[in-house]
Amino acid sequence: MRLIFTAGLFALMILLMTGCKPNSVDRINTGASITSISRLPENPLEMIPMAVSLQPQRKTMSTLYGNGIAAKRLKDDADYAAGSVLYLVTWKGKADPDWFGARIPDRVMAIESVYFDQNGQKSYTFFKGPAWNSGLDLKKEERLSIILSIPVAKSP
Amino acid sequence: MKLKFKIVIGILSLVLLAQLIRPEELHSAKAQQVKRLAGVPEEVAKVLETSCFDCHSSQTSWLWFDRLTPVNFLVASHIRDGRKALDFSQWDSLATPKRNAMLYFALNGMLSKEMPLSSYTALHPAAKLDQNDIDLLRAYLLNTALSKPASTKSNSKGAAQSSVMEVKRSPNGIAYLPNYRNWKAISTTERFDNGTIRIIFGNPVAVKAIHEGKTNPWPDGTIFAKTAWKQEQGKDGSVYAGQFVQVEFMIKDVKQYAGTKGWGWARWKGENLLPYGKTVKFDSECISCHRPERDHDYVFTTPFDIKDLNKK
Ligand code: HEC
Ligand code: HEC
Repeated sequence: MRLIFTAGLFALMILLMTGCKPNSVDRINTGASITSISRLPENPLEMIPMAVSLQPQRKTMSTLYGNGIAAKRLKDDADYAAGSVLYLVTWKGKADPDWFGARIPDRVMAIESVYFDQNGQKSYTFFKGPAWNSGLDLKKEERLSIILSIPVAKSP
Repeated sequence: MKLKFKIVIGILSLVLLAQLIRPEELHSAKAQQVKRLAGVPEEVAKVLETSCFDCHSSQTSWLWFDRLTPVNFLVASHIRDGRKALDFSQWDSLATPKRNAMLYFALNGMLSKEMPLSSYTALHPAAKLDQNDIDLLRAYLLNTALSKPASTKSNSKGAAQSSVMEVKRSPNGIAYLPNYRNWKAISTTERFDNGTIRIIFGNPVAVKAIHEGKTNPWPDGTIFAKTAWKQEQGKDGSVYAGQFVQVEFMIKDVKQYAGTKGWGWARWKGENLLPYGKTVKFDSECISCHRPERDHDYVFTTPFDIKDLNKK
Protein backbone atom coordinates (compact mmCIF):
# COMPACT_ATOMS: atom_id res chain seq x y z
CA MET A 1 0.00 0.00 0.00
CA ARG A 2 2.68 2.39 1.04
CA LEU A 3 4.69 1.46 -2.02
CA ILE A 4 1.91 2.25 -4.44
CA PHE A 5 1.18 5.41 -2.56
CA THR A 6 4.75 6.59 -2.61
CA ALA A 7 5.22 5.76 -6.26
CA GLY A 8 1.96 7.45 -7.19
CA LEU A 9 2.81 10.45 -5.09
CA PHE A 10 6.15 10.83 -6.73
CA ALA A 11 4.66 10.65 -10.21
CA LEU A 12 1.98 13.14 -9.25
CA MET A 13 4.52 15.58 -7.91
CA ILE A 14 6.64 15.44 -11.01
CA LEU A 15 3.55 15.98 -13.08
CA LEU A 16 2.47 19.00 -11.09
CA MET A 17 5.94 20.48 -11.01
CA THR A 18 6.47 20.30 -14.73
CA GLY A 19 2.96 21.45 -15.56
CA CYS A 20 3.36 24.01 -18.29
CA LYS A 21 1.69 27.28 -19.05
CA PRO A 22 1.00 28.46 -22.58
CA ASN A 23 3.61 30.93 -23.77
CA SER A 24 1.79 34.17 -24.22
CA VAL A 25 2.16 36.80 -26.90
CA ASP A 26 3.71 40.26 -26.73
CA ARG A 27 2.19 42.52 -24.17
CA ILE A 28 1.82 46.16 -25.18
CA ASN A 29 -0.27 48.77 -23.43
CA THR A 30 -1.94 49.84 -26.66
CA GLY A 31 -4.87 51.46 -24.90
CA ALA A 32 -2.55 53.94 -23.21
CA SER A 33 -0.40 54.60 -26.27
CA ILE A 34 -1.06 57.68 -28.34
CA THR A 35 -1.87 56.51 -31.84
CA SER A 36 -4.32 59.00 -33.21
CA ILE A 37 -5.71 62.06 -31.51
CA SER A 38 -7.05 64.65 -33.90
CA ARG A 39 -4.94 67.75 -34.49
CA LEU A 40 -2.08 66.54 -32.32
CA PRO A 41 0.99 67.74 -34.26
CA GLU A 42 3.54 65.35 -32.79
CA ASN A 43 3.72 62.44 -30.37
CA PRO A 44 4.64 63.64 -26.89
CA LEU A 45 5.67 60.08 -25.95
CA GLU A 46 8.69 60.60 -28.19
CA MET A 47 9.91 63.47 -26.02
CA ILE A 48 11.93 63.44 -22.81
CA PRO A 49 9.93 62.50 -19.71
CA MET A 50 10.48 65.21 -17.09
CA ALA A 51 7.96 64.76 -14.31
CA VAL A 52 5.23 62.47 -13.06
CA SER A 53 2.21 63.27 -10.93
CA LEU A 54 -0.98 61.73 -9.58
CA GLN A 55 -4.38 63.27 -9.03
CA PRO A 56 -5.79 61.02 -6.32
CA GLN A 57 -9.41 62.31 -6.38
CA ARG A 58 -9.72 61.90 -10.13
CA LYS A 59 -7.71 58.69 -10.16
CA THR A 60 -5.58 59.98 -13.00
CA MET A 61 -1.85 60.07 -13.55
CA SER A 62 0.16 62.49 -15.66
CA THR A 63 3.59 62.65 -17.22
CA LEU A 64 5.22 65.91 -18.28
CA TYR A 65 7.30 65.66 -21.46
CA GLY A 66 9.65 68.23 -22.94
CA ASN A 67 11.83 68.83 -25.96
CA GLY A 68 15.60 69.16 -25.59
CA ILE A 69 15.45 72.83 -24.63
CA ALA A 70 12.81 72.30 -21.96
CA ALA A 71 14.66 69.26 -20.59
CA LYS A 72 17.59 71.47 -19.59
CA ARG A 73 15.53 72.22 -16.53
CA LEU A 74 16.23 68.68 -15.31
CA LYS A 75 19.87 69.64 -14.82
CA ASP A 76 19.93 73.30 -13.86
CA ASP A 77 16.45 73.99 -12.49
CA ALA A 78 16.34 77.04 -14.78
CA ASP A 79 13.17 78.61 -16.21
CA TYR A 80 11.88 77.26 -19.49
CA ALA A 81 13.76 79.07 -22.26
CA ALA A 82 12.43 80.34 -25.60
CA GLY A 83 11.84 77.39 -27.91
CA SER A 84 10.76 75.06 -25.11
CA VAL A 85 7.92 72.66 -25.85
CA LEU A 86 6.03 70.94 -23.06
CA TYR A 87 3.32 68.31 -23.14
CA LEU A 88 1.33 67.09 -20.20
CA VAL A 89 -0.29 63.73 -20.92
CA THR A 90 -2.96 62.59 -18.46
CA TRP A 91 -4.22 59.04 -18.27
CA LYS A 92 -6.94 57.40 -16.28
CA GLY A 93 -5.11 55.01 -13.98
CA LYS A 94 -5.92 51.34 -13.53
CA ALA A 95 -4.80 48.60 -11.22
CA ASP A 96 -1.73 46.75 -12.47
CA PRO A 97 -3.05 43.25 -13.24
CA ASP A 98 0.36 41.73 -12.44
CA TRP A 99 1.18 43.43 -9.15
CA PHE A 100 -1.21 44.25 -6.36
CA GLY A 101 0.18 47.50 -5.03
CA ALA A 102 0.67 49.30 -8.34
CA ARG A 103 -1.41 51.45 -10.68
CA ILE A 104 -0.54 51.97 -14.33
CA PRO A 105 -1.85 54.16 -17.18
CA ASP A 106 -5.09 53.05 -18.81
CA ARG A 107 -6.52 55.31 -21.53
CA VAL A 108 -5.53 58.87 -22.36
CA MET A 109 -7.83 61.44 -20.81
CA ALA A 110 -6.25 64.64 -22.07
CA ILE A 111 -3.13 66.09 -23.62
CA GLU A 112 -2.11 69.69 -23.06
CA SER A 113 0.75 71.48 -24.75
CA VAL A 114 2.66 74.65 -24.00
CA TYR A 115 4.83 76.22 -26.69
CA PHE A 116 7.33 78.99 -25.98
CA ASP A 117 8.01 80.98 -29.12
CA GLN A 118 11.30 82.74 -29.87
CA ASN A 119 10.26 85.71 -27.75
CA GLY A 120 9.29 83.51 -24.86
CA GLN A 121 5.54 83.97 -25.47
CA LYS A 122 3.54 80.99 -24.26
CA SER A 123 0.66 79.34 -26.06
CA TYR A 124 -1.52 76.64 -24.52
CA THR A 125 -3.47 74.01 -26.45
CA PHE A 126 -5.81 71.32 -25.21
CA PHE A 127 -6.44 67.97 -26.94
CA LYS A 128 -9.25 65.71 -25.90
CA GLY A 129 -8.32 62.07 -25.30
CA PRO A 130 -10.56 59.00 -25.68
CA ALA A 131 -11.12 58.83 -21.94
CA TRP A 132 -12.02 62.51 -21.55
CA ASN A 133 -14.29 63.27 -18.66
CA SER A 134 -16.74 65.91 -19.86
CA GLY A 135 -17.49 66.98 -16.30
CA LEU A 136 -14.06 68.58 -16.05
CA ASP A 137 -13.56 72.24 -16.75
CA LEU A 138 -9.96 73.12 -17.44
CA LYS A 139 -9.32 76.85 -17.38
CA LYS A 140 -6.54 77.87 -19.68
CA GLU A 141 -4.75 80.35 -17.42
CA GLU A 142 -4.95 78.07 -14.43
CA ARG A 143 -3.71 75.07 -16.40
CA LEU A 144 -0.83 77.04 -17.81
CA SER A 145 0.39 78.05 -14.39
CA ILE A 146 -0.06 74.52 -13.01
CA ILE A 147 1.88 72.95 -15.87
CA LEU A 148 4.75 75.43 -15.64
CA SER A 149 5.10 74.90 -11.91
CA ILE A 150 5.17 71.09 -11.91
CA PRO A 151 8.30 70.09 -9.99
CA VAL A 152 10.54 68.10 -12.32
CA ALA A 153 11.63 64.63 -11.20
CA LYS A 154 15.30 65.02 -10.37
CA SER A 155 17.78 62.20 -10.39
CA PRO A 156 21.48 62.31 -9.53
CA MET B 1 3.45 -15.82 -10.34
CA LYS B 2 6.73 -16.45 -8.72
CA LEU B 3 8.47 -13.91 -10.93
CA LYS B 4 5.90 -11.24 -10.14
CA PHE B 5 6.40 -11.87 -6.47
CA LYS B 6 10.13 -11.47 -6.85
CA ILE B 7 9.74 -8.20 -8.67
CA VAL B 8 7.45 -6.83 -6.02
CA ILE B 9 9.87 -7.89 -3.29
CA GLY B 10 12.72 -6.34 -5.27
CA ILE B 11 11.02 -3.00 -5.64
CA LEU B 12 9.87 -3.05 -2.06
CA SER B 13 13.36 -3.60 -0.74
CA LEU B 14 14.73 -0.88 -3.02
CA VAL B 15 12.21 1.56 -1.62
CA LEU B 16 13.06 0.48 1.91
CA LEU B 17 16.75 0.85 1.22
CA ALA B 18 16.15 4.26 -0.28
CA GLN B 19 14.77 5.33 3.09
CA LEU B 20 18.31 5.24 4.43
CA ILE B 21 19.21 8.12 2.16
CA ARG B 22 17.65 11.26 3.53
CA PRO B 23 18.20 14.97 3.14
CA GLU B 24 20.06 16.67 5.95
CA GLU B 25 17.14 18.96 6.67
CA LEU B 26 15.13 16.05 7.96
CA HIS B 27 17.46 15.47 10.89
CA SER B 28 17.10 19.00 12.12
CA ALA B 29 13.40 19.27 11.35
CA LYS B 30 11.33 19.43 14.46
CA ALA B 31 7.91 20.75 15.17
CA GLN B 32 8.82 24.11 16.60
CA GLN B 33 6.56 26.24 18.69
CA VAL B 34 4.85 28.51 16.21
CA LYS B 35 5.27 32.18 16.94
CA ARG B 36 2.62 34.60 15.73
CA LEU B 37 3.70 37.40 13.39
CA ALA B 38 3.78 40.50 15.55
CA GLY B 39 1.75 43.57 14.61
CA VAL B 40 -0.58 41.74 12.24
CA PRO B 41 -4.22 40.80 12.95
CA GLU B 42 -4.55 37.24 14.16
CA GLU B 43 -6.64 36.03 11.17
CA VAL B 44 -4.04 37.32 8.73
CA ALA B 45 -1.16 35.78 10.63
CA LYS B 46 -3.08 32.52 10.76
CA VAL B 47 -3.52 32.36 6.97
CA LEU B 48 0.19 32.80 6.36
CA GLU B 49 1.04 30.34 9.06
CA THR B 50 -1.11 27.51 7.75
CA SER B 51 -0.47 28.05 4.06
CA CYS B 52 3.05 29.37 3.80
CA PHE B 53 5.18 28.71 6.86
CA ASP B 54 6.02 25.13 5.95
CA CYS B 55 8.26 26.42 3.18
CA HIS B 56 8.85 30.04 4.08
CA SER B 57 9.96 29.95 7.70
CA SER B 58 11.92 27.86 10.13
CA GLN B 59 8.64 26.51 11.50
CA THR B 60 8.32 23.63 9.14
CA SER B 61 6.29 20.59 10.03
CA TRP B 62 6.75 17.34 8.15
CA LEU B 63 3.90 14.89 7.70
CA TRP B 64 4.76 11.19 7.63
CA PHE B 65 4.74 10.93 3.85
CA ASP B 66 6.88 14.06 3.57
CA ARG B 67 9.56 12.04 5.31
CA LEU B 68 9.64 9.25 2.76
CA THR B 69 12.47 9.12 0.25
CA PRO B 70 12.23 10.50 -2.45
CA VAL B 71 9.46 12.85 -1.36
CA ASN B 72 11.61 14.21 1.44
CA PHE B 73 14.22 15.47 -1.02
CA LEU B 74 11.56 17.40 -2.83
CA VAL B 75 10.23 18.85 0.38
CA ALA B 76 13.71 19.81 1.51
CA SER B 77 14.40 21.58 -1.75
CA HIS B 78 11.09 23.45 -1.49
CA ILE B 79 12.04 24.69 1.92
CA ARG B 80 15.53 25.66 0.80
CA ASP B 81 14.28 27.58 -2.26
CA GLY B 82 11.20 28.87 -0.52
CA ARG B 83 13.18 30.40 2.33
CA LYS B 84 15.60 31.94 -0.12
CA ALA B 85 12.70 33.74 -1.81
CA LEU B 86 10.78 34.74 1.29
CA ASP B 87 11.59 34.00 4.91
CA PHE B 88 9.17 34.88 7.69
CA SER B 89 11.58 33.77 10.41
CA GLN B 90 13.27 37.16 10.28
CA TRP B 91 9.99 39.00 10.88
CA ASP B 92 10.80 40.20 14.37
CA SER B 93 13.99 41.90 13.29
CA LEU B 94 12.35 43.84 10.46
CA ALA B 95 11.13 47.42 10.49
CA THR B 96 7.52 48.13 9.52
CA PRO B 97 8.14 49.17 5.88
CA LYS B 98 10.11 45.95 5.32
CA ARG B 99 7.36 43.90 6.91
CA ASN B 100 4.76 45.53 4.69
CA ALA B 101 6.89 44.93 1.62
CA MET B 102 7.08 41.28 2.63
CA LEU B 103 3.30 41.06 2.97
CA TYR B 104 2.79 42.65 -0.45
CA PHE B 105 5.27 40.16 -1.86
CA ALA B 106 3.33 37.32 -0.23
CA LEU B 107 -0.03 38.64 -1.42
CA ASN B 108 1.23 38.89 -4.99
CA GLY B 109 2.50 35.33 -4.76
CA MET B 110 -1.03 34.25 -3.82
CA LEU B 111 -2.72 36.40 -6.47
CA SER B 112 -0.52 35.02 -9.21
CA LYS B 113 -1.79 31.57 -8.18
CA GLU B 114 1.82 30.41 -7.85
CA MET B 115 1.62 30.03 -4.12
CA PRO B 116 1.19 27.87 -2.18
CA LEU B 117 2.67 25.33 -4.60
CA SER B 118 -0.12 23.18 -6.01
CA SER B 119 1.91 20.03 -5.49
CA TYR B 120 1.86 20.88 -1.82
CA THR B 121 -1.81 21.74 -1.39
CA ALA B 122 -2.73 18.51 -3.18
CA LEU B 123 -1.37 16.67 -0.16
CA HIS B 124 -1.87 19.32 2.51
CA PRO B 125 -5.43 20.45 1.77
CA ALA B 126 -5.58 22.58 4.90
CA ALA B 127 -3.07 24.92 3.29
CA LYS B 128 -5.30 25.66 0.32
CA LEU B 129 -6.31 29.29 0.12
CA ASP B 130 -9.81 30.47 -0.57
CA GLN B 131 -10.82 33.94 -1.72
CA ASN B 132 -11.62 34.86 1.85
CA ASP B 133 -8.07 34.27 3.01
CA ILE B 134 -6.67 36.39 0.23
CA ASP B 135 -9.17 39.18 0.83
CA LEU B 136 -8.22 39.28 4.50
CA LEU B 137 -4.62 40.08 3.66
CA ARG B 138 -5.61 42.47 0.88
CA ALA B 139 -7.97 44.41 3.11
CA TYR B 140 -5.38 44.61 5.85
CA LEU B 141 -2.76 46.00 3.50
CA LEU B 142 -5.17 48.52 1.98
CA ASN B 143 -6.46 49.83 5.27
CA THR B 144 -3.52 49.70 7.59
CA ALA B 145 -0.30 49.38 5.81
CA LEU B 146 -0.77 52.10 3.21
CA SER B 147 2.07 54.55 3.00
CA LYS B 148 1.00 58.15 2.73
CA PRO B 149 2.83 60.73 0.65
CA ALA B 150 4.95 63.18 2.60
CA SER B 151 3.42 66.62 2.79
CA THR B 152 4.81 69.52 0.82
CA LYS B 153 8.39 70.20 1.54
CA SER B 154 11.05 71.59 -0.67
CA ASN B 155 12.38 68.69 -2.69
CA SER B 156 15.27 70.61 -4.15
CA LYS B 157 17.33 69.46 -1.20
CA GLY B 158 20.12 67.27 -2.42
CA ALA B 159 19.24 67.68 -6.08
CA ALA B 160 22.69 66.45 -6.87
CA GLN B 161 24.43 68.54 -9.43
CA SER B 162 27.42 66.28 -9.54
CA SER B 163 27.17 65.02 -13.07
CA VAL B 164 30.71 63.73 -12.88
CA MET B 165 30.10 61.72 -9.71
CA GLU B 166 32.10 58.49 -9.48
CA VAL B 167 29.56 55.70 -9.27
CA LYS B 168 30.73 52.31 -8.04
CA ARG B 169 29.91 49.12 -9.91
CA SER B 170 27.14 46.81 -8.78
CA PRO B 171 28.47 43.74 -6.87
CA ASN B 172 27.82 41.59 -9.96
CA GLY B 173 30.16 43.79 -11.99
CA ILE B 174 27.58 45.85 -13.87
CA ALA B 175 28.62 49.47 -14.40
CA TYR B 176 26.29 52.42 -13.86
CA LEU B 177 24.54 53.79 -16.97
CA PRO B 178 24.24 57.56 -16.58
CA ASN B 179 22.33 58.42 -19.78
CA TYR B 180 18.96 56.83 -19.17
CA ARG B 181 17.20 60.18 -18.66
CA ASN B 182 17.43 60.72 -22.41
CA TRP B 183 15.56 57.48 -23.09
CA LYS B 184 11.81 57.29 -23.66
CA ALA B 185 9.30 56.53 -20.95
CA ILE B 186 7.68 53.20 -21.74
CA SER B 187 5.42 53.39 -18.69
CA THR B 188 4.87 55.00 -15.34
CA THR B 189 3.62 53.43 -12.15
CA GLU B 190 2.14 54.56 -8.92
CA ARG B 191 3.20 52.16 -6.19
CA PHE B 192 0.83 52.55 -3.28
CA ASP B 193 2.44 49.57 -1.58
CA ASN B 194 5.58 51.60 -0.86
CA GLY B 195 4.54 55.20 -1.49
CA THR B 196 6.64 55.82 -4.57
CA ILE B 197 6.05 56.99 -8.10
CA ARG B 198 8.12 55.61 -10.96
CA ILE B 199 9.15 56.09 -14.55
CA ILE B 200 10.26 53.09 -16.57
CA PHE B 201 12.64 54.11 -19.32
CA GLY B 202 13.44 51.99 -22.37
CA ASN B 203 16.55 52.44 -24.49
CA PRO B 204 16.23 52.74 -28.30
CA VAL B 205 16.55 48.96 -28.76
CA ALA B 206 13.61 48.45 -26.41
CA VAL B 207 11.46 51.07 -28.11
CA LYS B 208 12.15 49.56 -31.53
CA ALA B 209 11.33 46.06 -30.25
CA ILE B 210 7.99 47.30 -28.91
CA HIS B 211 7.18 48.95 -32.19
CA GLU B 212 8.00 45.80 -34.13
CA GLY B 213 6.08 43.67 -31.69
CA LYS B 214 9.14 41.61 -30.77
CA THR B 215 9.09 41.74 -27.00
CA ASN B 216 8.83 38.12 -25.99
CA PRO B 217 11.69 37.51 -25.68
CA TRP B 218 13.19 41.00 -25.71
CA PRO B 219 16.17 41.29 -28.11
CA ASP B 220 19.77 41.46 -26.88
CA GLY B 221 20.74 45.06 -26.20
CA THR B 222 17.40 45.93 -24.60
CA ILE B 223 17.83 47.97 -21.42
CA PHE B 224 15.21 49.12 -18.95
CA ALA B 225 15.83 51.70 -16.27
CA LYS B 226 13.27 52.13 -13.56
CA THR B 227 13.51 55.19 -11.33
CA ALA B 228 11.58 55.60 -8.11
CA TRP B 229 10.82 58.79 -6.22
CA LYS B 230 9.03 59.28 -2.93
CA GLN B 231 5.51 60.62 -3.36
CA GLU B 232 5.15 64.20 -2.25
CA GLN B 233 1.87 66.01 -1.68
CA GLY B 234 1.60 69.25 -3.71
CA LYS B 235 -0.39 72.33 -2.70
CA ASP B 236 -2.92 71.76 -5.47
CA GLY B 237 -3.86 68.28 -4.21
CA SER B 238 -1.72 66.47 -6.76
CA VAL B 239 1.05 64.11 -5.77
CA TYR B 240 4.46 64.72 -7.29
CA ALA B 241 7.84 63.02 -7.46
CA GLY B 242 9.79 64.08 -4.40
CA GLN B 243 13.00 62.65 -3.07
CA PHE B 244 14.91 60.33 -5.41
CA VAL B 245 14.93 56.77 -4.06
CA GLN B 246 16.74 54.56 -6.57
CA VAL B 247 17.32 53.53 -10.13
CA GLU B 248 17.30 49.89 -11.28
CA PHE B 249 18.41 48.36 -14.53
CA MET B 250 17.69 45.21 -16.50
CA ILE B 251 20.15 44.65 -19.34
CA LYS B 252 19.39 41.92 -21.86
CA ASP B 253 22.21 39.72 -23.12
CA VAL B 254 21.32 36.06 -23.39
CA LYS B 255 24.94 34.86 -23.44
CA GLN B 256 26.59 37.21 -20.98
CA TYR B 257 23.80 36.90 -18.43
CA ALA B 258 22.92 33.25 -19.06
CA GLY B 259 23.11 32.54 -15.32
CA THR B 260 20.53 35.19 -14.42
CA LYS B 261 17.73 34.49 -16.90
CA GLY B 262 19.36 36.45 -19.71
CA TRP B 263 19.28 39.77 -17.87
CA GLY B 264 21.91 41.76 -16.00
CA TRP B 265 20.30 43.18 -12.85
CA ALA B 266 21.55 46.23 -10.96
CA ARG B 267 20.27 48.86 -8.58
CA TRP B 268 21.76 52.11 -7.26
CA LYS B 269 20.23 53.79 -4.25
CA GLY B 270 19.87 57.39 -3.10
CA GLU B 271 21.42 60.66 -4.14
CA ASN B 272 24.83 59.09 -3.78
CA LEU B 273 23.99 56.20 -6.08
CA LEU B 274 25.32 53.52 -3.78
CA PRO B 275 25.34 50.11 -5.46
CA TYR B 276 22.79 47.75 -3.93
CA GLY B 277 23.58 44.20 -2.85
CA LYS B 278 26.01 42.56 -0.46
CA THR B 279 27.18 39.64 -2.55
CA VAL B 280 27.64 38.81 -6.23
CA LYS B 281 24.45 36.75 -6.07
CA PHE B 282 22.29 39.59 -4.74
CA ASP B 283 20.33 39.47 -7.99
CA SER B 284 18.62 36.21 -7.02
CA GLU B 285 16.32 38.49 -5.01
CA CYS B 286 15.38 40.41 -8.16
CA ILE B 287 14.79 37.21 -10.09
CA SER B 288 12.63 35.58 -7.46
CA CYS B 289 10.22 38.53 -7.38
CA HIS B 290 10.18 38.81 -11.18
CA ARG B 291 9.68 35.05 -11.52
CA PRO B 292 5.88 35.14 -11.93
CA GLU B 293 6.61 36.96 -15.22
CA ARG B 294 8.79 34.15 -16.55
CA ASP B 295 6.42 33.66 -19.49
CA HIS B 296 6.99 37.32 -20.35
CA ASP B 297 10.78 37.23 -20.29
CA TYR B 298 10.78 38.30 -16.60
CA VAL B 299 9.40 41.75 -17.43
CA PHE B 300 6.39 43.18 -15.59
CA THR B 301 5.82 46.34 -17.58
CA THR B 302 3.34 46.45 -20.45
CA PRO B 303 4.95 49.26 -22.44
CA PHE B 304 3.49 52.05 -24.55
CA ASP B 305 3.88 51.72 -28.27
CA ILE B 306 5.64 54.96 -29.23
CA LYS B 307 4.77 55.91 -32.80
CA ASP B 308 5.93 58.81 -34.90
CA LEU B 309 2.57 60.41 -35.73
CA ASN B 310 3.96 62.21 -38.76
CA LYS B 311 5.20 59.06 -40.40
CA LYS B 312 2.50 57.02 -42.05
C1 HEC C 1 5.53 23.56 -0.56
C2 HEC C 1 6.31 24.67 -0.23
C3 HEC C 1 5.75 26.07 -0.38
C4 HEC C 1 4.62 26.60 0.20
C5 HEC C 1 3.63 25.90 1.10
C6 HEC C 1 4.58 27.99 -0.18
N1 HEC C 1 5.65 28.29 -0.98
FE1 HEC C 1 6.12 30.10 -1.75
N2 HEC C 1 7.78 29.30 -2.66
C7 HEC C 1 8.17 27.99 -2.56
C8 HEC C 1 9.37 27.79 -3.36
C9 HEC C 1 10.11 26.48 -3.53
C10 HEC C 1 9.68 29.04 -3.93
C11 HEC C 1 10.85 29.40 -4.81
C12 HEC C 1 10.52 29.23 -6.26
C13 HEC C 1 11.75 29.36 -7.09
O1 HEC C 1 12.53 30.28 -6.85
O2 HEC C 1 11.91 28.55 -8.00
C14 HEC C 1 8.66 29.97 -3.48
C15 HEC C 1 8.60 31.30 -3.83
C16 HEC C 1 7.67 32.20 -3.34
C17 HEC C 1 7.64 33.60 -3.68
C18 HEC C 1 8.58 34.27 -4.64
C19 HEC C 1 7.95 34.56 -5.99
C20 HEC C 1 7.50 33.35 -6.75
O3 HEC C 1 6.30 33.26 -7.02
O4 HEC C 1 8.33 32.52 -7.10
C21 HEC C 1 6.60 34.15 -3.00
C22 HEC C 1 6.15 35.61 -3.03
C23 HEC C 1 5.97 33.11 -2.23
N3 HEC C 1 6.65 31.94 -2.47
C24 HEC C 1 4.87 33.27 -1.40
C25 HEC C 1 4.21 32.25 -0.77
C26 HEC C 1 3.01 32.43 0.02
C27 HEC C 1 2.32 33.76 0.28
C28 HEC C 1 2.65 31.21 0.47
C29 HEC C 1 1.45 30.87 1.34
C30 HEC C 1 0.18 31.26 0.82
C31 HEC C 1 3.61 30.24 -0.03
N4 HEC C 1 4.54 30.91 -0.78
C32 HEC C 1 3.59 28.88 0.21
C33 HEC C 1 7.57 27.00 -1.83
C34 HEC C 1 6.39 27.14 -1.12
C1 HEC D 1 9.34 42.61 -4.32
C2 HEC D 1 9.30 42.42 -5.72
C3 HEC D 1 10.45 42.93 -6.59
C4 HEC D 1 11.79 42.80 -6.39
C5 HEC D 1 12.53 42.16 -5.21
C6 HEC D 1 12.42 43.41 -7.53
N1 HEC D 1 11.48 43.86 -8.41
FE1 HEC D 1 11.83 44.81 -10.18
N2 HEC D 1 9.82 45.07 -10.44
C7 HEC D 1 8.84 44.64 -9.58
C8 HEC D 1 7.54 45.08 -10.08
C9 HEC D 1 6.20 44.80 -9.43
C10 HEC D 1 7.79 45.81 -11.27
C11 HEC D 1 6.77 46.52 -12.17
C12 HEC D 1 5.98 47.58 -11.49
C13 HEC D 1 6.75 48.75 -10.93
O1 HEC D 1 7.36 48.64 -9.87
O2 HEC D 1 6.77 49.81 -11.52
C14 HEC D 1 9.24 45.76 -11.47
C15 HEC D 1 9.88 46.32 -12.56
C16 HEC D 1 11.25 46.36 -12.74
C17 HEC D 1 11.93 46.96 -13.88
C18 HEC D 1 11.25 47.54 -15.10
C19 HEC D 1 11.05 46.44 -16.13
C20 HEC D 1 9.96 45.45 -15.72
O3 HEC D 1 10.27 44.28 -15.44
O4 HEC D 1 8.79 45.86 -15.64
C21 HEC D 1 13.27 46.85 -13.65
C22 HEC D 1 14.38 47.35 -14.55
C23 HEC D 1 13.44 46.15 -12.38
N3 HEC D 1 12.20 45.86 -11.85
C24 HEC D 1 14.68 45.83 -11.84
C25 HEC D 1 14.84 45.13 -10.64
C26 HEC D 1 16.13 44.83 -10.05
C27 HEC D 1 17.48 45.16 -10.66
C28 HEC D 1 15.88 44.18 -8.87
C29 HEC D 1 16.87 43.65 -7.84
C30 HEC D 1 17.90 44.54 -7.38
C31 HEC D 1 14.42 44.08 -8.74
N4 HEC D 1 13.83 44.66 -9.83
C32 HEC D 1 13.79 43.49 -7.67
C33 HEC D 1 9.02 43.91 -8.44
C34 HEC D 1 10.25 43.59 -7.87
